[in-house]
Amino acid sequence: MAAGKGDLTDPKQGITEAEAIEQAKQGHEAAFEVLYHLHKRRVYSLCLRMVTNPAQAEDLAQEAFLQLFRKISTFRGESAFSTWLHRMTVNVVLMQLRKKGLPVVSLEETLEAEDEAPRKEFGTKDLKLTGSIDRLQLQRAIDRLPPGYRTVFVLHDVEGFEHNEIAQMVGCSIGNSKSQLHKARLKLREYLKFMRAEKAKTG
Amino acid sequence: MTCSDVERVLPELLDGASDGAFLPDFDAHVKSCPVCSDLVSDLKLIASEARQLAATEEPAPRVWVRIAAELRAEGLVFDSAISDSATREPESAPARPLLVPVPGSPRWRWTALWLAPVAAAVLAAGAYVISYKKVVPQVAQQAPTPQVTSPPPVIPAATPPSVPATAPQQVAKEPANPTGVNGAVPAVEAAAEPAPSAEDRQFLSVVSTLGPSTRATYENQLNAVNADIRETQAYVNRNPGDADARQHLMDAYQQKALLYQIALDRIQ
Amino acid sequence: MASFRKASVRQAGIQQTSMNNTAAVTLVLVTCLASAAFAESKKEYRFTVGPNAIISVDTQYGAISVKSGSGDQVIVTATLKSDSVEVDQQQSGSRIEIASHLLQGANEQTGRVDYEVLIPPDATLNLHSSIGPLSVEQLHGDLTLEGTDAVVNISNVENCHVVVRTMRGPITLAGVRNGHVEIATISGDIHLKSVTGPLVLASSGRGKIFYDGDFGAGGDYKFTTHTGDIEALAPADVSAEFRVHSVLGRVHTDFPLLPHHSRYSMKAGSSFVGTAGKAESAVVLRSFSGRIRLKQR
Repeated sequence: MAAGKGDLTDPKQGITEAEAIEQAKQGHEAAFEVLYHLHKRRVYSLCLRMVTNPAQAEDLAQEAFLQLFRKISTFRGESAFSTWLHRMTVNVVLMQLRKKGLPVVSLEETLEAEDEAPRKEFGTKDLKLTGSIDRLQLQRAIDRLPPGYRTVFVLHDVEGFEHNEIAQMVGCSIGNSKSQLHKARLKLREYLKFMRAEKAKTG
Repeated sequence: MTCSDVERVLPELLDGASDGAFLPDFDAHVKSCPVCSDLVSDLKLIASEARQLAATEEPAPRVWVRIAAELRAEGLVFDSAISDSATREPESAPARPLLVPVPGSPRWRWTALWLAPVAAAVLAAGAYVISYKKVVPQVAQQAPTPQVTSPPPVIPAATPPSVPATAPQQVAKEPANPTGVNGAVPAVEAAAEPAPSAEDRQFLSVVSTLGPSTRATYENQLNAVNADIRETQAYVNRNPGDADARQHLMDAYQQKALLYQIALDRIQ
Repeated sequence: MASFRKASVRQAGIQQTSMNNTAAVTLVLVTCLASAAFAESKKEYRFTVGPNAIISVDTQYGAISVKSGSGDQVIVTATLKSDSVEVDQQQSGSRIEIASHLLQGANEQTGRVDYEVLIPPDATLNLHSSIGPLSVEQLHGDLTLEGTDAVVNISNVENCHVVVRTMRGPITLAGVRNGHVEIATISGDIHLKSVTGPLVLASSGRGKIFYDGDFGAGGDYKFTTHTGDIEALAPADVSAEFRVHSVLGRVHTDFPLLPHHSRYSMKAGSSFVGTAGKAESAVVLRSFSGRIRLKQR
C-alpha cells in the first residue's frame, strides 16, 4: 500500500495537513480547500485511470472528496489521511463501476470479445521493451485494457494496493486478483510492443 | 523448469509472494532463455513504470467549485474565509460572509456539531437549577447570565467542539431560573410553558433531515422529557427541601441531554 | 422487504378473482419483479487482529449480532438488502471499522444491512444501529451499544465494561457477571437477569426496570426511573442494603429489612431503607412517580 505523505507544510498555505484536518473538523472552508489541493491529483488520477473518461473521473473525484469531508469528524489519525482518502476513492469508483454493470474484475479466463490485442506472431522481430517506456503510450495502453483487467492493474501496479486488499475491495479471490494482474501486464506488453512497432514504421 | 512452468509461476514470483522454493530453478531458466528473460524484465518494467503514473493528472478547477458549493449547501462549513489568492483557482466561487450556520439555502440544516454543546448546556442549566441553597448567595451576586458553579455531568460521547459563546447563555436564560431568596426556587412560569425553546426548535429542525417519521419520533420523545422536566420542576418549586426531587429534576435534564446525544450520534 | 411482499400479495389479490392459471402466473411474475428490485447480496470480510482489538460496526438500518470467535480472526458477514447500500470497511492495526453506507434513494428497507460478526472474546466492541436489533453474547471485552429504537440483548458476558444507550429500544441483559454496567434509555424497558458486578447503573425515563438476581458481588446497584415502575426479584438470602424511594409513587417490599438511617425523609408507603443479610451490596431504587416493588423469589 502506498505510504501516506504525512504532514505537509506549504509555505503558501502556512498550514500543515494535520492542522488543516483539525480546522476542517470545525467547519473552516479554507481548511477543506487546503486538503483538496493536497490530494486532488492522486484522487483524480486514480479515478481517471479506472474509468478513462475525464468527465466521469471529475464526478467521481468530487464524490470521493465529499464523502471524505462529510466523515472527516470521524478521522482519528491512527492511519494516514491519504490512506483513508485513497481507500474511499477506490470504493467510490468501484461502486460506480458496479452500478453501471461494468465488470469490476474479469472472471473469464479467456480473452474478452472486444479485446484488440495484436497477435503474438506479429513480426519476427519482437521488440524488447526493456530500456524505456513512453509514459503516454503506457497510459494509452492502460486505457485500452478491458475494464476488469484495468481495475486490478491500476489498483496494484499504479496505486500500490496489495492483492488481499484488492480482493476485499472488489470481491474476488486473491488468486483471481493475481491472475488478472498477470494477464493485464501481458496484454500491456503486447499493446506497447505494437505501439512501438507502429511508431518505428512511421519514423 | 520449462517456459510453460515460468509462465505459470510468474504471477506469484513477480510480486515476491512465493515462498521461493522453486526460485533457483526459475532463475536458472530465465538466465538461459532469452524469451523468458525478455518477458520477465518487460513485466517488471511495466510494473515499475506504472507506479510513476500515480498522481500525474490534475482535475479542472470546476471540481473544487462544485465541492465547495455542496459543502455550503450541506452546512458542513461554518465560515468561508477567503483563502490565500495563491491557492484559489480562478473559477472558484466568490467568498461568502461569515455565516453560523448557513441559512437560506434550500438544504439548510443546523449542523449536528451544535447539538453537542447544547446537550452540555442543557445539563449545565439543570445543574444550575438544582443548586442547593449554599450556592444561592454567590449565584445571586453573579452577572445576569450566571455560569454553573459545578461542572455538568460528563456526556458519554465524542468530544464536543468548542462551545459557541452564545449557547450556554441562551440555555441559562431558559425556564430554569436562578434560585431566589432563602434557597427557594421561585415559581417557574416556564414549568407550565408548552412552547418549545429555541434549542428544541433547532433540534427538531436538525432531526427533520432524517425524515418525517423520524422527526415525529424524536418530537414525541422530546415532548415527553420536557413534560417530565416541567412536572418535576413544579414539584421542586412546591417542595424546595426535597433533595430527592431535586435529584430527579437533574435526572430529567440528563434524559434530555441523552436524547440530544442520541440524535447527534445518528446525524454524524 | 416484508412491506414489499405485502404490496405484491395485495396486487395479486386484486387481479385474482378465482384460482386460475392466469392469476397464478401473475402472482409469480409480481413476486419475481419484487425480488429483482431488491437484489440481496452477502459479503464476507476477514481480518486478523492482535490482542485487545477494537471492533466497531455501524449500520443505520439493520441487525448486528456478535459472538465470540476463535483465535485472532474477525469475521464479518454482511447481508445487504439491495444495491442501494454498500459496506465500508477499514482496518488500522487491530482496529476494525465496519459501516453501512447509504446511497442515494436508500430507505429503511433498501438501506438495510444485517451483520453477523465473530470476534476474539477479549476485543472491545462498539455497535450502533438505529433500528437494530443488537445482540452480543459470550464476550469479555468492553461493550458499547447504541441504538435509537434498537432492541438490545446482551448475554453471558463477564469481567467487562458494558454501556448501552437507546431512545426507545428495550434492553435485556442476562448472565452478566462481574460487570461494570451502565444502561440509559429514555423510554425503553430494561430487563436485567442475573446481572452482578461492582457497579450496575440503569436508568429509564418512562420505561420500566425489571431485575431478577441476587444483587451479588458486593456491588453498587442504582436503578432510576421517572415514571416507569421498578420491580426487583431477589432470593431470600440476598445480602444488601436497600434504599428505596418514590417521590409520588408507592413502594413495597417482601423482605423484612432491618431499618437503617437515611438522610431522605422516610414517608411511609413512599420509601424505605433497610438491610438484608450482611448488607454486602448497596441497592438504590428511585423513581419520581413510578411504583417500586422489592419481591422475594
